[in-house]
Parts: sequence; C-alpha cells; structure tokens
Amino acid sequence: MKIAFIGLGIMGRPMAGHLLAGGHELYLHDLRPVPQDLQEKGGHVCRSNQEAAAQGEVVITMVPDTPDVEAAIFGAEGVAEGLAPGKIVVDMSSISPIATKDFARRINQLGCEYLDAPVSGGEVGAKQATLTIMVGGSEKTFARIKPLFDLMGKNITLVGANGDGQTAKVANQIIVALTIEAVGEALLFASKAGADPAKVRQALMGGFASSRILEVHGERMIKRTFDPGFRIELHQKDLNLALSGARALKMSLPNTATCQELFNACAAHGGSAWDHSAMVRALEDLANHEIASREQKKGAA
Amino acid sequence: MKVGFIGLGIMGRAMSARLIGGGHEVYLHSHKPAPKELTDKGGRDCRSCREVASHAEVIFTMVPDTRDVEDVLFGESGVAQGLTPGRIFVDMSSISPIATKDLARRIEQLGCEYLDAPVSGGDVGAREGTLTIMVGGSETAFARVKPLFELMGRNVTLVGANGDGQTAKVANQIIVALTIEAVGEALLFASKAGADPAKVRQALMGGFASSRILEVHGERMITRNFEPGGRIELHQKDLNNALTGARSLQISLPNTAKCQQLFNACIAHGGSAWDHSAMVRALEDLANHEVGSDKRQKGTA
Repeated sequence: MKIAFIGLGIMGRPMAGHLLAGGHELYLHDLRPVPQDLQEKGGHVCRSNQEAAAQGEVVITMVPDTPDVEAAIFGAEGVAEGLAPGKIVVDMSSISPIATKDFARRINQLGCEYLDAPVSGGEVGAKQATLTIMVGGSEKTFARIKPLFDLMGKNITLVGANGDGQTAKVANQIIVALTIEAVGEALLFASKAGADPAKVRQALMGGFASSRILEVHGERMIKRTFDPGFRIELHQKDLNLALSGARALKMSLPNTATCQELFNACAAHGGSAWDHSAMVRALEDLANHEIASREQKKGAA
Repeated sequence: MKVGFIGLGIMGRAMSARLIGGGHEVYLHSHKPAPKELTDKGGRDCRSCREVASHAEVIFTMVPDTRDVEDVLFGESGVAQGLTPGRIFVDMSSISPIATKDLARRIEQLGCEYLDAPVSGGDVGAREGTLTIMVGGSETAFARVKPLFELMGRNVTLVGANGDGQTAKVANQIIVALTIEAVGEALLFASKAGADPAKVRQALMGGFASSRILEVHGERMITRNFEPGGRIELHQKDLNNALTGARSLQISLPNTAKCQQLFNACIAHGGSAWDHSAMVRALEDLANHEVGSDKRQKGTA
C-alpha cells in the first residue's frame, strides 16, 4: 500500500520503519531532513505534506501537538491540498479530542475518511511495535487500516466515533498521572512514618492497591531513577488537554488539576525532562522528606 | 494451640471460624454473646477480654478503631489484666500506626509480644481465607504466629517493626482511594466527551493505566453497582488515619485530603454505606453528568 507518513521524530521514525519492513511504499515528510535509515529502506522523500498526501492512499501524521496537526493538514502545502476523495487520514498524535472532531469533519467534507489513533507505550513500544492504539472513526475505515496498526502495535481498540480515540488517550493519561500521585503519597507516608517503602510496596502488590504504576513507577521512586522514560513536559501537555477539555465540557477534574500543579512545581525545579514518576519530588518538597532516604543513608554509611 | 479471638463482627467471625477449622482451641469474646455457629464448632465463649487472655497463648483482636483496641487491652477486665509473660497479642484491626507503637511498648512492658497485622480483602477474603496481611513486629513473634495467619490469609508480609504493618495498611488505603478517584475522573471525562466509558475502560486495560481498581471499581461505576463491597464510612476511617498521621508526621497528602472531602460529599447525600467506588458520584455532582448516562438513555429509548 502507498502510505504518506508525516512526522519522523522519536515515535514516527520507528513506526514508519515497521511499515516499510511490512512491505509498504512510504512517502515521507518532516520539518527536518528525513532520517537516512528510512531512505535506505526504500522510503521516498517528499518536499511537502501536500506532495506526500498526493502519493499516499493513507496519510499518517505523528506530530507533537494540536497546532502541529492543524498545520500539517490544513496549512500551506498541507495534506488537505494533496488529498483526493477516498483517501484516509490517520492522526496518531496525542491531541485535543474536541479539535479532532472538527478536523475529521473538514476531512470528510473533502470526500476522505479520518481516524484518530493516538498511542501509548512510548519510544520502547514504538521500537518494539507493541504500542497500545486507541482508535476513533468508522468501523469500515478501521477495518481497512487495521493491518497497518498491527505492524505498529499490539492492543488495538476501536473505541468509538471520531474524537473517541483521543478521549481514551486523555483518560489514560489522567489515570496514569493520578496513580503516580497516589503511589507517591502512599510511599512518602510510609517512609516518613519510619517503614521501609520497598517492603510496603511489596506487601501491597497483589491486593487492591496493585497497578502497573505501583510496580514500575513505585520502584523508580524507591530507587531514585528519574531518567525518562516519559518526560514530565509531555505528560503536562496531555493533562493540559484534559483540563482545557474539562473547561470546554464544563466539568471538574480536581485531582487532575492538582497533579498538573505538582508537575509545574517539578518544572520550576528544572524537572521538565525528568521521568513523570518524579512527581513524587514535589510531594517530597512539601514534606521536607525524601522516600527511602533512610535506606540510602544506611547504604552509604 | 490455645488461641483467643476478641471482636466477632463480619470480619472477626469469619476469621475465628477459620482458626477453629484449623483445629485450634479458640476462646472468644465480643460485646454480644459469641455466635452459635462458632460455639457449635467448639469455640468457647468467655465473659471478658481478661478471661480470653488468661486462657490463650496468642490473642487476636479485630475491632473497629484505635479506641476500641485500647479498650480491649487496657479497659476494665481488659486483656492486659489476663496476660502472663511470653504471650503474643496480635491486633488485626486497622488503626493508627502511631498509637500502635505506644500500645506495643506497653504490652512489651508486661513481658509479652505485640504484632500489628491489619488486613485487606474484605469479608469475602475473610470467609475464603485469602486476606492480605501486613505485619509489624519481631521476626520471632511473626514466625510463631505465621501458621495462624496462613489459615486466614494468603499474602502475608512482615513489613518491619511494630507500627509498620498499620503504616502499610494506611498506604494501601491511600492508593485505593486515590486510584478510585483517578478512574472516576477519567471515565467521567470520557463519558462527558461523548465516548462510551465501557469501551474506554476496555481500551485502557493492559496499558499503564491498568489496575485492580480500573478493573473492579471502574466496572462498578459503569454498571452503577454501588452495593458494598467496601463501605465509604470504613474507608473514611482509614483516610482519617492517613490525614491525622500526616499532621503529626508533618507531611502534606493533598489528594488524600481531597478524596476524604469527596467521601464527605457522598455522605452528605446519604452514602455512608455505599461502596467506595461511589466516590465517583461526588465528581458526577460537580460535573452535573453521570458516567454512561448517555448510553443508558439510548438503551431505554
């Protein structure tokens, strides 16, 4: 299949690589030069999004944020100018669910189909083709693109109509942030009360407090490994989608708001590029106490 | 072994039945006469806590709150009056970690050992002998009581010294409450944005947002099943231990505080005995929207 792939950053580059390896013909564009490895595997370099869209039957975008998707599709020499009826636009970026519904409507007016298909699983998931993909759009279009999704990911769910994929991604990021905060408060309480947080974490695994976050991020908090992983600045973008969405939808997300503020406090201390599990550092600042500091002192003594 | 069991509510009754079933000679006491089902199986009803303590080598208690444990131990005709050196007192109630350290010290002064061993897993876990048991105390006392714990529970962890078992339980309840809130915000956002919360929940399982809470309590929110389960008034008691603990330890638990307030809002609406997953109802009040209500309206139309 002829596929246009726009946005070849940390995520887009390995994803496009999997599509090439799957035997597809790729038309590539990025604001920066197209990576050499993709060209060597047979990817065609295009001078604009318009040119890529003119060549591909399917146009995939993987760019940072809502304005970037808007620029890539509807900007000068954008995807929209290269589309012909019957083509499919698949936006795999994580952007606003509300803006997505508008983009989909405008693409439909050109006689084309639109899928929103944001992912979770990060750089590792992109490289290993194990991404979780949350899709919004029609069943028919989903069925046509599914073989391509299967080359890039593992848990692929058609959540509902356009926008619902992005909504699911936002819901995912709300839960992840708030569970990191929950584990942070719990381990901090345990540590300050004099218990060994590593033992507490172990005692809690398997019960109702157990989660992937307690497992992975809880361990990071105890071992103090805050190299990303998933950067705080990226999670802040996702929580911004949640909070501006909540404002537009007229609803309260009280703990999402608090978590965003705790991320702000991390950023104030130079932590934009820390792993998001470092949200616990903002709680530690408030408590004037660091998780496991007792154990580390013992280790160093 | 001669074993005492004080407090024969929903939990204590099921737990003492398992000790009797394990072939132990069990001395019982509660505010009310011991249930017939226990005395029929050979449990001996005692008139006071003191009488229980004078017969048994290991004395368990399972009562509602910190004050009740103090009463059992040091009240009129209390356990302390019946103890002789070498006995072990095991408190399986969920109470203050800080008060626990003091109670343990006073029991040790009598030449006896103290274990704090709060549980999670609810009445189902108590009946089936699958409780998670988080223990604080010495390794020798833990080793002596372990065969009895294994009749009542499955995940049995010695977390550390006295108080650390209660600390782990508080940490557990912080994570459970805050994860319920996280799942509530996420599903409410999804529903208000027009997505099917059941589909969103399904798309998120298996990724980083996955947890026992998303699985069990998330489903309760969608199917509107708020029959307890874990009652809000009991979880409030645990969060109170967290928040008064935080105050005396001088640490901030911002989202624990907020979850307690959301539980208060539930109670204001008659929800003391709702399952704790009904915390979402407080968020729904704020949003003037109920999770999944659009779908249900469609279903009934």
